[in-house]
Parts: sequence; structure tokens; C-alpha cells
Amino acid sequence: MRSFSEYDPVVIAVFFVTVLSVAMFCGHPIIAAITLFTGVIYNIVLNGRQHMKSHLFFLILFIVLAAANPLVSHNGVTVLFVMNHNPVTLEALLYGINSAAMIVGVLYWFRNFTRIMTSDKLLHIFGRLSPKLSLVLSMALRFVPLFKGQAEKVHDAQRAMGAYKDDNIVDDIRGNMRIFSIIVTWALENGIITADSMEARGYGTGRRTSFTRYRLRGEDIVFLAADLILFGAAIAAIVTDSVEFTFYPVVRGSISGIAGAAGTAAYGIMLLMPVIVEAEVRIRWKYLQSGI
Amino acid sequence: MIVIRSKELRSFIKVVVPFAAVPALVTAGALVFDHNKHIIISMGVAIMALLVFASGYERKNTGTRREVIAAIMTALCFAGRFIPLLKPVAALTIISGIYLGGETGFLVGAMSAVLSNIYFGQGPWTAFQMLAWGLIGLIAGYLSEPLKKSRILLIVYGAVSGIAYSFIMDIWTVLWYNRGFSIKLYLAALQTAIPYTLSYVLSNVLFLYLLGKPFGEKLQRIKVKYGV
Repeated sequence: MRSFSEYDPVVIAVFFVTVLSVAMFCGHPIIAAITLFTGVIYNIVLNGRQHMKSHLFFLILFIVLAAANPLVSHNGVTVLFVMNHNPVTLEALLYGINSAAMIVGVLYWFRNFTRIMTSDKLLHIFGRLSPKLSLVLSMALRFVPLFKGQAEKVHDAQRAMGAYKDDNIVDDIRGNMRIFSIIVTWALENGIITADSMEARGYGTGRRTSFTRYRLRGEDIVFLAADLILFGAAIAAIVTDSVEFTFYPVVRGSISGIAGAAGTAAYGIMLLMPVIVEAEVRIRWKYLQSGI
Repeated sequence: MIVIRSKELRSFIKVVVPFAAVPALVTAGALVFDHNKHIIISMGVAIMALLVFASGYERKNTGTRREVIAAIMTALCFAGRFIPLLKPVAALTIISGIYLGGETGFLVGAMSAVLSNIYFGQGPWTAFQMLAWGLIGLIAGYLSEPLKKSRILLIVYGAVSGIAYSFIMDIWTVLWYNRGFSIKLYLAALQTAIPYTLSYVLSNVLFLYLLGKPFGEKLQRIKVKYGV
């Protein structure tokens, strides 16, 4: 029993790809509404009541995006009012709201993805795709704190030598430039030593292993299978045009037949899967705690 | 699961993707999908371009030293993205491209995008950012000789690549928002992006002016000293 963030990174990646490929490429308002709604719910499940500022930011973004379309696009037959000799139409406004819901929904899902897909998981996936690129990435990640620490050492040494004063801006900038230059030279030299050391220890002679070892467990496979089946149902509904919507010239659209309804429901359930996993884990945890 | 470990598969991708898959995707986009599905095509092409690069780079014996230096440049780009307003990422990518070759330039640009977006937020734009910065580095590698010689040319290249970056990213913005390309929206997006475009151009010019020569000297020195 693990929370969704502890699943195999490949499963997490597949889940997000399936979610986003429907969310980004299907223009139906109900799909967009589901994406936005579940994205917000999952974000709150992950972060609790923090990040109120980012919710506010997304709200403002939603309004700006929704208002942008009717101002530049004048398609559609129902004219609401005329502004600067340009008609503002109901269809364009609805299209803008739909696009805004889709975009903000996708942004929420990406935010959840960034939260769950930490750098070590990303490296795990990259390592399968291309070991060399993964190595460059993981080394770069390591170099950032390393350079920072070294920069502090150089800074202290320079100060101790009386090389510059902090209260003078010109001196400060000059000093920082000097530190930067020293750091770059040091980093390059140090990098060469690292590379030689890696080669001496046999880098490139065998297969690379990664720090975290993930294994596909039963839960992973069940989750993956459920995800792919629901994704298939949603895609089938979209490809057969059962979920269709057009805004121009007149707003018209429907979810037709069993395929359409099933596809939409499947999409909704698919997006709720991580929330369900999370809820189950928390309830079980509460239950176990109460048993102590 | 895509595991590009076998050599055959990698060389297969290298031939099939650019000569069969990309043209097929573009024609399919023109014939099968309606005009609202441009976004799928552009996303597909962007990801395929990155795949081609990954498979090519994987096969090449670039040497550990060069890889480590690429990692150092990527780390510097990543750290540089925390500077407010002025971003040295493109400038450092250009410098890497000039002194370490186009392929390393592409690598530094693309990897900086992935890495820094772990902090700044991944999004559907990551693939496009990777491609845009990667191409800036790759082309800098092709133009390496003239850019090394003339500082003015280097700064001009920086300014042009700043504008080009903004143009590429805005194509994506419009495609995503409108689910189809609209020249009107594109122009509107370009207009609203003018402050950003200016900041890209300014940071590229400034950082190339400040860092171009000293950085070049340092990289050149390492190349001569260790024969990278």
C-alpha cells in the first residue's frame, strides 16, 4: 500500500502522458471541465491548504485567457455588443472560456506532475531512455550545490585577503565577477579530474545502474492496466466522433451514444485514480493508527 | 517501454524517424486530421527531433571529459536561470556550441531546459524549449569559425537567437491556445511578448559581450591542456 508518488516512475509517466494527451488534444468543454476540476482537487490533495497564491494566479490567468479570445477573434453569429467597430460574439467568448479551462487544467496537471516527478525519478526514466543523457543530467544536478559551496569558500578567501569591500557596489560587482571567473576555471579543471577518475573506475565498460531501484509490483501493474483501459475507452470515443463540439459559426456539440458517455466517464475515472489511491492510503493509515 | 539500449534499435530510429516518421506525420496531419489538430503534429515533430538527437548522441563515443564539461555548462545555465530578469542560458548555450561543437551545444541547451524546469515547472512547452535552446546551440556550433573571430558577429547572433527563441515559443503558445494556427493571434502574442523578447535579446547581448571572450579563453585552455 503506497501513495501514488511511490509508484514506479514509468507508471507515473505513462499515467501523465495518457491524461495530458487527452486533455490537450480534445476540445470538448466537458473534457476540459473534468481536467480542470480533477486537477484542482488533486493539487489540493497533494498540497493541502498551502499555495493559495498560486490558486489565485491561476484564477487570474483563467480570466485573462477567457477574455483574450473574443477580443481578437470575431467569428460566430451571436453578436453580444460592438467594441471599436469590432463585434464581440458569444461563440468567441465561449471558445475563450473553453480554451482557458483546458489550458489552466493542463497547467494544474503539470504542476501535480512536477510535484510528484522528483529529479531522481526523472533520472530513472531518462536512464532507461538514454544512459549518457541521464548521466549528464545527474552530474549537472550535483554540480549546482557543489559550485555554490566552492563559491562561498572562494568568497571567504577573497574577503580574508582584503580583495574587496562589500559596501561599495563597484567593488562588489568586480569581486563577484572575479569569483565567477575563478569558479568557472575551477569547475572545468575539477570536471576533467572527475572524468579521469570515472574512466579509471571503468565508466562506460558496463551497464549503468541507478541509485533508486524501482520494481514493478502488483499495484503498479493494476494501476497501469486500469489507466490504459480507461485511456483506450476515452480515445475510442474521441476517434469515433462520439465526443464532438464545434464553436463556430454556431455552438453545437454532443456526447452521443454509449461510446461517448462511456468515454467521458472513463476519462473522469482515469483522472480521479491518483486521488482514489491517495484516499485509500490515508484511510488505511488512520485505521491502522486507531488500532494501536 | 522505450529502452534505447540496443544498437540496432538506435540506428533504426536514426534512419526511420527523420526520413519516414516525420514526413508521414506531417502528411497525415494535412490529409487526415482537420486543421484544429496542428498541435498534435507540432508536438510529435518536436519530440521526434529530440529522440533523433538522443539516439545519435548515445551511439557516439564522445569521451567522458566532453560529457562532464557539458554537464558543467548545463549546471551553470541552470544556476543562471535564477538571476532575475536577465537569463544567461542562451548565451552560455551559444558559447558551448561555439567552443565544444554543435552537438554539445544542443545537449547543453536541451538539458538545461529539462533540468531547470524541474524547478520552474514542467509544461507542454518543455519539449519546445528544449528544441529552441538546442537549435540555438547547434547552429552556433556550425557557425563556430566566424563567431570565434568576430565579436560583433557573436553579439548579432545572440540578438537574432533571442528574437528567434521568442518567435518559436509564441508559435507554440498560439497553437496551444487556439488548437490551430491563426496569424492574427500569433501577431497579438508577439506583441504582448515584446518585453520578454527584449529581455532575451538584452541578456544574450550582455552576457555574450561580458562572458564570450573570457569563457572562450577558459574553454580553449582546457581543450589545449587536456586535449578534449
